[in-house]
Amino acid sequence: MPATTPAIRRPRVSASARREWLTGYLFVLPAALIIAVFGIFPIGYAIYMSLHRWRIRKGAFVGLDNYLSVVGDWWGALAFFGGLLLIIAAHWLWVDAFRRDDGTVALAGRLLGALVLLGSGVAVSLGWRLMTAEGDRRFLQGLTRTVYYGFGSVPVQIVLALVIATLLFQKLRGQELFRMLYFLPYVTPAVAAAAVFRNIFSPRPERPANTVLEWLGLPTQQWLFETRPMSQVLFGGLLDRLGIELSGFWAGPSLALVTVIVFGVWTYTGYNAVIFLAGLGNIPKQLYEAAAIDGATRVQQFRHITVPLLSPVTFYLTVLGFIGTFQAFTHIYVMRAPNTRDAVDTASIVIFDTFYGRNNFSLAAAQSVILFAIILILTLLQNRLIGRRVFSD
Amino acid sequence: MTEPAAVRRQAPAEPVRAKAAAAREPYEFRLAHLPAYLALVVGAVVSMSPFLYMVSTSLMTLGETINRRLLPATPQWVNYRTAWSEADFALYFRNSVIITALVIVGVLVTCTLAGYAFARIRFPGRETIFLVLLATLMIPGTVTFLPNFLMVRGEVIPWGSWLNTLPALTVPFMSTAFVIFLFRQFFLGIPHELYDAARIDGAGHLRFLTAVVVPMSKPVIMTATLLTFVSSWNEFLWPLLVTTTPKWRPLGVGLYTFISEAGPQTHLLMAGAVITVLPVLLVYFLTQKQFTEGIATSGLKG
Repeated sequence: MPATTPAIRRPRVSASARREWLTGYLFVLPAALIIAVFGIFPIGYAIYMSLHRWRIRKGAFVGLDNYLSVVGDWWGALAFFGGLLLIIAAHWLWVDAFRRDDGTVALAGRLLGALVLLGSGVAVSLGWRLMTAEGDRRFLQGLTRTVYYGFGSVPVQIVLALVIATLLFQKLRGQELFRMLYFLPYVTPAVAAAAVFRNIFSPRPERPANTVLEWLGLPTQQWLFETRPMSQVLFGGLLDRLGIELSGFWAGPSLALVTVIVFGVWTYTGYNAVIFLAGLGNIPKQLYEAAAIDGATRVQQFRHITVPLLSPVTFYLTVLGFIGTFQAFTHIYVMRAPNTRDAVDTASIVIFDTFYGRNNFSLAAAQSVILFAIILILTLLQNRLIGRRVFSD
Repeated sequence: MTEPAAVRRQAPAEPVRAKAAAAREPYEFRLAHLPAYLALVVGAVVSMSPFLYMVSTSLMTLGETINRRLLPATPQWVNYRTAWSEADFALYFRNSVIITALVIVGVLVTCTLAGYAFARIRFPGRETIFLVLLATLMIPGTVTFLPNFLMVRGEVIPWGSWLNTLPALTVPFMSTAFVIFLFRQFFLGIPHELYDAARIDGAGHLRFLTAVVVPMSKPVIMTATLLTFVSSWNEFLWPLLVTTTPKWRPLGVGLYTFISEAGPQTHLLMAGAVITVLPVLLVYFLTQKQFTEGIATSGLKG
C-alpha cells in the first residue's frame, strides 16, 4: 500500500535533515493527536474499564468477571471462538497444506480439512449453547441478530448493486440521472430516513406498507412491531400442521428485524452500485472485444470476465458491508418500537443500552471489547476465505 | 527521489477518464434497451418512494395522513412553519451549520498537513505512523464512544466537562484517517520537480503546501469537504450522548426528540424530516458529479 522508499543511509544526520524531520512531525501532530486521543486511546481505556466494577463511577478491580458475565461459561467461549479459528485451519488444510502433492497425500489433507471443518461446526454450536445457558442473553441474542442482519443485507445489496451497475454501464441515456437517484439514500441523514421508514412500515392498516399488502390481497402485518420469527409469520400455519417447531437461530429473524434489513439494503445498494460502476470502467474493453471474437456470449463474458475482474471490488464491498453491519446504530435506534424493545436490538444497540439505559459502564465496555474481537476475527476469516479467490493482478 | 509505483498508478487516472467521456458515441435507442430501462425505472421508483412519501405527507393535513391519500388535496405549506417553531428547528439548524462548518475546517487543516507530510516529507517512523492511523478505520465506533464519553466529561483527563459545549461536538471529528489517506494519495501524484523548483526559490514545506499544492488540489479538497459535510451533518450517536440540553443540539438529535413530541402528527414529523434532509440533498444535487465520482474513486482505492 504505502510506497516505501528505501531511506538513504548516512553515517550521521545533518541539521537540515533534522529540520525536515521536525517539520514532518509538526505537520502530522494535530491529526495524529486527535486520532490518538479519540480513536486509539479509547480502546485501551475500554479494556481498562472492563476489568473494573464501573457503574457511573469507577469501582473495584474485578479482573475478568465482566467478561464472564457476558460469555457465561469460559469453556463455552473457548469452544466458540476456537471453533471460529478452526474454520481458518480447515480452509488451510483444504487448500494449502498439501498443495504440492497431488495424490493420496492431498486427498488425505482434504479429508482432514473436512473433518476439522465438521469439528469447528460442532465446537461453535456447542460453545454457543454453553454460552447462552449462563451468559448475557441480551448481548448474545444481539449478536445473533447482527449475524442475521449481515447475512440478510450484505449479499442482497451486493447482487442488486451489481445488476444496477451492469445495466447502467451499457451506455444508456440518463445514466447519470439514475446513478444520482440510486445514490441518494446513502447521503440521506439516517435519523430522517428511519423516521420515514417507521411510518411506512407502521402496523397501522392505512400506512404504505400495509396498503400495498392489502392491494395485493395479502394480510396486513405488524412490521416493526412484529417480534415473531419470519418462519412463523410466513409459514406459521403450515409448520403447525406439520408439527414442526423451529426455535432459536433456525426460526429466522423477526419481521421487525427484516424491516431493518430492508432499510440497510435501501441505504447501501446505490453506494455499492456506484463503486461497482467505477470498477466496471476499469476493466479493459479489449478483453470483451477479444472474447466476442472468440464467440463468447454476453453471459459467458459476464461470467468469465466481469465477475473475476470485479472480485476485488466485491471483496472490498463485502468487508465494508459486514463491518458496517456491526457498526449500524442510528437507523436501528430510531426504528425500534418502544413496546418490542429488543426485537431489533443488534449487538451495538445492546451495548449502547447497557451503558445509557442501565448505566453499567464496565459491562458495556466488556461487551464492546468482545464485539471488537469478533470483528477482528471476521476480518481475518474474510481475508482468508474470500481474499483467496479474489482475482489479483 | 522518486516514488515510481504510486505516481504511475495515480497519474493516468484523470486523462483516461476524460478521453473515455469524449469518445462516447452518440446515443442511439435500441429496442433491446427497453427491459433495462424498465428495470432501472422500477428500481429508481422503489428507492425514491420514501422521499416521495416524506414530501407528500409533509404537505398533508392531519386528516389526510390517516386516510390513505397519495397526495394532499392542497399543499399545506404551513406545516413547515408549525414544525419549525414547535421543535425549535431554527436553533438545531443553526447548531448543525456551525458544527459542520467547524468540523470541515478542522478536517481540512489537520488532514492536509498530515497527508502532505506522509506524501512528501521524509522522517523516521513515517510509514509506521501512517499505518497505525489507517488501522483506526477498522475500529468500530461502538468501542470508542464509551471511553470518549467519559473523556469529554473530564473523568479521564482532568480538563473539566465538555458536555453541551461546542468542542465536545467538533474536536473528536476534526481528523479522520480516511481523509488523510485521500490527501496523501493525491499529493503523491504531484510532480517532485515542482517542489524542487519552489525550494530553489526559498520556499519551505508550509509555503509550498499553501501556495502550490493546495491550489492544485481542488478536486480532492472538494471530495474531502463533501464527505465530511455529509458524515458530520448525519452524525447521531455522539451528539445524542453529549447534548443533554438543546443549547448545541444538532438537527438529527432534534428530529429524534421531535419524533416523540410530534406523536401522531405524522405530517409535522415529515416536515421536520424534510428540514433535516434538505441541506444535504441540496448540496448533493449541486455537486452530484464530483460527489459520486469522488466517492467512487476514493472508495476503490480504499
